[in-house]
Amino acid sequence: MISILFCCLLTFSAQAAEREQPKLGYNMTALPKPVSAPDFTLKDMDGKKYSLKDYRGKVILLNFWATWCPPCRRELPSMQRVHQNFKGKDFAVIAINQMEEVDHVFAFTGELEVDPKFTILFDKDSAVSLAYGVQGLPTTFLIDKKGKVRFRAIGGREFDHPEVEKQILQLIQE
Amino acid sequence: MKTKTIISRLLQIICLCLLNTQIQAAEVTIHKNNESGLLTWTSKDDGFSIELIQLIPDFVRAVYAKYGLPPDEVERIAGYCVFGTIIQNTSQQQLSYRVSDWRYVDKNGKTYPVKTKAQWLEEWQKVGVTFLWTLLPESGDFGIGDWQQGFTTIQLGRSEKFDLIYTWTLDGKKHQGKIENMSCAPAEISASPTKQ
Repeated sequence: MISILFCCLLTFSAQAAEREQPKLGYNMTALPKPVSAPDFTLKDMDGKKYSLKDYRGKVILLNFWATWCPPCRRELPSMQRVHQNFKGKDFAVIAINQMEEVDHVFAFTGELEVDPKFTILFDKDSAVSLAYGVQGLPTTFLIDKKGKVRFRAIGGREFDHPEVEKQILQLIQE
Repeated sequence: MKTKTIISRLLQIICLCLLNTQIQAAEVTIHKNNESGLLTWTSKDDGFSIELIQLIPDFVRAVYAKYGLPPDEVERIAGYCVFGTIIQNTSQQQLSYRVSDWRYVDKNGKTYPVKTKAQWLEEWQKVGVTFLWTLLPESGDFGIGDWQQGFTTIQLGRSEKFDLIYTWTLDGKKHQGKIENMSCAPAEISASPTKQ
């Protein structure tokens, strides 16, 4: 079974590598009417609990992702870069993993070229993603200091692109 | 007189339908993977692009077995023609789509609805499966630059050809595209398709 799985993954990876993947975009769509971001309490890899309400007063880039999702993997480095670029400002990146085991995600992040320093939380039953109306992965929200969802992106993005950073800065300066 | 009125009404209805659904002359390209021999169809329409990648049953089995689906359910979805699907809003406006409006037509001209993610999840919930992901979301409202990917499932024999008819709405107008003569992935891939 393991050899079949390995063979399949190799085949698919080869095909995916050969085909050009869609470029990561840099637009986040402004919501016509900002809505309150549903609160949540989730654990990180060490079992430490985090609640969204604890971040009030900060702009949050809230990302829903999984390791099996190719665009999620591709946009992770840009999340680390934007996290670094806004260090010391009223800004935080939170990546909420969907339905995967801590050990698996730990092993995955260990293989990345740059270790993610932002917060990774675990939504074991996808209850938080459902509360946010997430239909597919990745989906990302930009939440303002008052806890309102202001921008949304479906599909992979380059979050350190000047256009996205301008949107983040605009919310930080409000 | 009565016949004239009926014909006039029919013409009015046809005209209205044509106005409401703009049928696209899509630019479709087919790519064959040199190593696996698997095919990918890419269609670029007005403001919308769709890419469908053949997936072999063993790949589908591996994905769903990993996420804990019961063996019967793994076999059931692996028995469908499964395509990795990438859809993209390439316009500068809001775009929406609903998989429940999509259809496929077999070689005998019979039309079938494409099974939606919601339909799969409903069936899975009945057997205790809570896994929500990997299938193409059944609907979406895309902003500029938004795109999505996931599996699309077609229930036809593995050797049957079919046409896929898909729709999207852009600026209030419903559009329709078509990819002709599609086919499922083979049951398994040969070691070296280029040497066949």
